[in-house]
Amino acid sequence: MSDQPTASRQKYIPTIGIECHVQLKTKTKLFSGANNDAREAEPNTTVSPICFGLPGTLPVLNKEAVRLAVRAGLALGASINRVSRFERKHYFYPDLPKGYQISQLAEPTVGPGVVTIRLGDGSEKSVRIHHAHIEEDAGKLTHPSGADYSLVDLNRAGTPLIEIVSEPDMHSSEEAKVYAQELYLLMTYAGVTHGDLYHGNMRFDVNVSVAKEGEPLGTRTETKNLNSFKAVERAVEFEIARQTKLLEKGEKIVQETRGWNEDRQQTFSQRSKENAHDYRYFPDADLPPIYLDDAFVDEVRSELPALPGVYRAAFKELGLDGSVVQSLLARRTYADMILDLQQVHGKQTATRAAHWLSSVVSDEVLVDTSSLTTETLAELSAMVEVNELSSTAAKEVLVEVVEHGGSPRAIAEQKNLLQVSDEGAVASVVDEVLANPANAKAVSDVKAGNDKVIGFLVGQVMKKSAGKANPALTQKIIREKLI
Amino acid sequence: MSSISIDDVKKLAGLSALMVTDSEAAALVEQLNEILGFVEQLNDVDTTGVEPTYQVTGLENVWREDELIDYNLSREALLKNAPDSQDGQIKVKRVLT
Repeated sequence: MSDQPTASRQKYIPTIGIECHVQLKTKTKLFSGANNDAREAEPNTTVSPICFGLPGTLPVLNKEAVRLAVRAGLALGASINRVSRFERKHYFYPDLPKGYQISQLAEPTVGPGVVTIRLGDGSEKSVRIHHAHIEEDAGKLTHPSGADYSLVDLNRAGTPLIEIVSEPDMHSSEEAKVYAQELYLLMTYAGVTHGDLYHGNMRFDVNVSVAKEGEPLGTRTETKNLNSFKAVERAVEFEIARQTKLLEKGEKIVQETRGWNEDRQQTFSQRSKENAHDYRYFPDADLPPIYLDDAFVDEVRSELPALPGVYRAAFKELGLDGSVVQSLLARRTYADMILDLQQVHGKQTATRAAHWLSSVVSDEVLVDTSSLTTETLAELSAMVEVNELSSTAAKEVLVEVVEHGGSPRAIAEQKNLLQVSDEGAVASVVDEVLANPANAKAVSDVKAGNDKVIGFLVGQVMKKSAGKANPALTQKIIREKLI
Repeated sequence: MSSISIDDVKKLAGLSALMVTDSEAAALVEQLNEILGFVEQLNDVDTTGVEPTYQVTGLENVWREDELIDYNLSREALLKNAPDSQDGQIKVKRVLT
């Protein structure tokens, strides 16, 4: 077989699809009026007989959950199904007291959509959404160490979720991570979820398979319950490497559910019961179908807040780097401030502030920026504009304002950061520098027409004035004196 | 006509977390096949153009506003229905790990 060697050297192409559970920010649960916020609550205190699955109880749908699901659908550029239904998904596990989860299968509320992702190299890519369905969350199990029992807390049981199911359109760990980040932006900007990743408000399941180019998709594994973008990226990376290695050794991939070990940065096989996926779905007769008319969908659309796309379009005019835009979007208050500045104070002010904020975000210098206002940013920008502050000094002032409050001008004065633009004062420093014998060579070079050396002399003046001399003014004075 | 085998019964019992002895399974095969045969009659009806019936109440959009309801029930009362409890939680046989 002559093509055998070539075939085995052919690269394996990964294919990735992602399911994302998003916790909806309703006050009450999906089918009961129990409190949906259990973050600080004692176990089994935000519950009702419905959450406990007691006999004789009837679920009643939370209208707000439907509104939020439709809103999510619109943010995903998806079609909204005018008829949708709930079905029962059956499995036995102690975190599910009814013995079934109320979910949607054949007729979910949100139909196909598309999400555009932006990769590090500047390229864009579309990831198709297969559908998104509404379902209830299960309870929480804890396994006290050493004990022969587990404990069940049903506070989370019945919390409304939507599960966003992508098509297998991603082909690298970067694409998977960026897709997860984009979903996070879309869902938080749309106001669908609180987006608290630490508390599991968004959880990702990644389906990964590898196959040689041109061949049918390989056997996939599903790594469940990833709650950070980094974990999504790493888990996909790990699965691609693990599966490729197995196939290269001539072994087979087992279709299975896997977990993620954060400490070891590895996926591991979760023994799932045989036939565990035989969920025996059937329509839930306790819940009448949802019929949504144009008026309902239009009303939700009219309430839809500005999505990341609106900000991206506006920021395009500022000529910002993709990474700067991304870091601003990651903190919505920042993105809002820049948009504000752009509209009120113009492009230049907004661009300047965008760079300050994005470097502050990426350095994570500031944790609590609640005291930061657009007025502060505008004032700082104006000071830079008239050469009172260097851009670097402005950032220093910014950090101080946010951490300790106060006006930018007062802080600049107090920290002795104001640039000297008084011509006489700068001129006297210039005189000193030009008279210094150490600079004699540079001075004669400039006189001889070597213009580049002026920069060196400006640097000396800056140094002598502790960075406060206005560089443009300094250069002008040096020119006047030497040329 | 489809029929149910003893393996089907055992699989269903497993999925439903039910203990079924061999003799019970054999009896269930017979009973389930009778039920299936009865339901099979529906296949004789021409349902062309008839929409599936998911429910017979004719209700739609039965929903409530997103407001807290006080169920006036203590945790202790709810936990009374569980076979065992500890520290305000339901105690079950250890699962996983």
